[in-house]
Amino acid sequence: MKFLVFSDSLDVSKQILSFLNGKGETRLLSPREDNSLRGYGASEIVLLKGSLTIDSVSEFILKEFAGSFDYLIIASTSLGRDIAGYISEKMNVTVAHEVFSIAFKDGKIVTKRFDLGGKVVIEEESSAKIVTVLPGISEGTPSGSNSPVRVVEIPAGKVRVVSVEPKKGKEVELEKASIIVSVGRGLGKKEGLQQIEPFAKKIGAEIAGSRPVCLDYHWLSEDRQVGYSGRKVRPKIYLALGISGQIQHIAGMRDSKIVIAVNKDKNAPIFQECDYGIVGDLYTAVQKISSYL
Amino acid sequence: MPYNIVVLVKQIYDLELVKINSSTGEPVLEGVPFRFETLSKNAVEEAVRLKEKHGGKVTAILFGNDKGTQVMKEAYAMGVDEGFVITGYQEGNVALTARVLAAKISQIPHDIVLLGNQSADSMSGLLGGKISAILGLPYVSNALKLEASGQKITVESAGEAENMKVEADLPAVVSVSQEINEPRFPPVMQIIQAGRKKMNVEQAQIRVESGIKVLSRLAPKSERKKVIFDDMDKGAQEIAKVIKEVTK
Repeated sequence: MKFLVFSDSLDVSKQILSFLNGKGETRLLSPREDNSLRGYGASEIVLLKGSLTIDSVSEFILKEFAGSFDYLIIASTSLGRDIAGYISEKMNVTVAHEVFSIAFKDGKIVTKRFDLGGKVVIEEESSAKIVTVLPGISEGTPSGSNSPVRVVEIPAGKVRVVSVEPKKGKEVELEKASIIVSVGRGLGKKEGLQQIEPFAKKIGAEIAGSRPVCLDYHWLSEDRQVGYSGRKVRPKIYLALGISGQIQHIAGMRDSKIVIAVNKDKNAPIFQECDYGIVGDLYTAVQKISSYL
Repeated sequence: MPYNIVVLVKQIYDLELVKINSSTGEPVLEGVPFRFETLSKNAVEEAVRLKEKHGGKVTAILFGNDKGTQVMKEAYAMGVDEGFVITGYQEGNVALTARVLAAKISQIPHDIVLLGNQSADSMSGLLGGKISAILGLPYVSNALKLEASGQKITVESAGEAENMKVEADLPAVVSVSQEINEPRFPPVMQIIQAGRKKMNVEQAQIRVESGIKVLSRLAPKSERKKVIFDDMDKGAQEIAKVIKEVTK
C-alpha cells in the first residue's frame, strides 16, 4: 500500500509515520521544517513552503495524490480537517474522520472514533480513501531512517496571506507530561492556583484545567484545556481536583494510566472514572498529600 | 456596504442528558432533547454583529429534523432574519450534509457564509472544506477575528503553530472558533417575538450514500479501580504512595 500523509503537527507526523511503518510506502507532506522528522521511516518528506492556505495546499495534495497513492492520511488539526473536507469533495471519496484506531482489511478500512461528545465509540467499516487521525495513533517511535527531503513552493490560491504570526508563548506540551494536575470549577477562584502550583512543582507536574476553567473563567490559558474539544492527554498520573467529570472532560484524559480525583461531591461522575479518589476539600487534600510525600 | 450573510446552524443532542443502557452499553437517545450546537451559536453571533455593523440580512439554515424549529427560534431571537429548517439529516453522513447545505446556499443570495469550525458532538470539522469545494468559494477557517470591507474580508485564522492573517474576495466561506465572540443572551421580548416569526421547513431532496457501515456504537468500558476514600487522611496517604511510586 502507498500512503500520502499530511500533518502540520510535528508530534502527530511522527506518530502517523511510526504507525504506518511496515504497512507500505509513505510520503510525508509537512509545512513544518524539522530535521527530526527524517528518522521515522518516510520514503520521502516534502517540505511545503509558500502559500499555506487551505485551498492552495489542497490543490497541491490533489495533484500529488492522483494515481499514485492508496490512502491520504491527515493529522486532525484545524488545517488538516479543512483540507480533508475540501479534497474529499474534489475527489468524491469518503472520509473516515477523527479516528484513533485503523485496520486495513481487503481494500476496506475499519476505524474507531468517539461520538456524542465522547460518550460512545463508533466502530465502522468504510471504503474511505481519506482518514483524519487524532493524536496518539502510536507512540511515535523513531525507525532509524534518514528520509530524503524535497522542498516545494506552493503557489497562491484564492485566499491571500497578509501576515503570519507564531503563536504567543511557549507551547505547553501537555501531551508529553508524565504527571498532570488538573483543576476544575471546584477551585472556586483563580487565586486558588497559588496553592496548587507549589504542589504541582513538587511532583513535577504540568497544570491543566477543565473547559469552564480555561474557556469560561480564563483562570488558565486555553491551551491548557483538557477535554474532547481540547487537549487529549495520557500521563502516568492524572490528578483531577474539583473536576466533576463531565464526558467532555473524560474524553480528553481517558487514556491516562492512573487517575486520581478529589471532589466534595461524592456523586460526582469523576469517581466512576478514577483509580483513587478522596471525597472532600481539594485544598486540604493537596496539603495532606503533599505532607506525606 | 450591506451584506447577505448565510449562517449554518446545527442542532445536537443535549449530550449531558444522553444516558448509557447499562446492560447493552448503547446510548439511549429516545426522548433526549436537542440543543443549539456550541460553535453554531458563535457563528450566528458573528453573523448578527456583521449585520449590525454593515446592514444587510442574516439567513440561517439548519439541516436536522422537525425538532430543529426550536433551535431556529433561538437563532431568530439572537437576530437572524429568516430561517430554513431542512429535514432528513443522517448521523455520520457528512457528504450528505455538505451537499444539502451547499444546494440551499446556492439558492440564497450570499456574500459571507458562516459556520462553526467543529461541532461539539462528532467534531468532524469537514463541513467548511466540503462546502467551499462544492460552491467553488474561498474558504478561511478557525477565525479569531473577522472584518468585512467592500468586496473583501480580512480574517485572523488560528493554526497549529502560528496564526495567519488572510484576505479573500467575497463571496467566501468562513468557519469561526469559540474565541471569536461571546454569544448574546437575547432579551425575553425578542424570544417571545421570535416564536411568532415565520419559518421555512422543507424536506431534503438530495440522496448521498455515506460509504460507511457502522459496526458498533458502544460506551467505552471504564476499567478504573475506583478506590474512594471518605477519610481524607487515609486517602492522602494512599495517594502519596501512588505518586511516590511513579516519581521515584
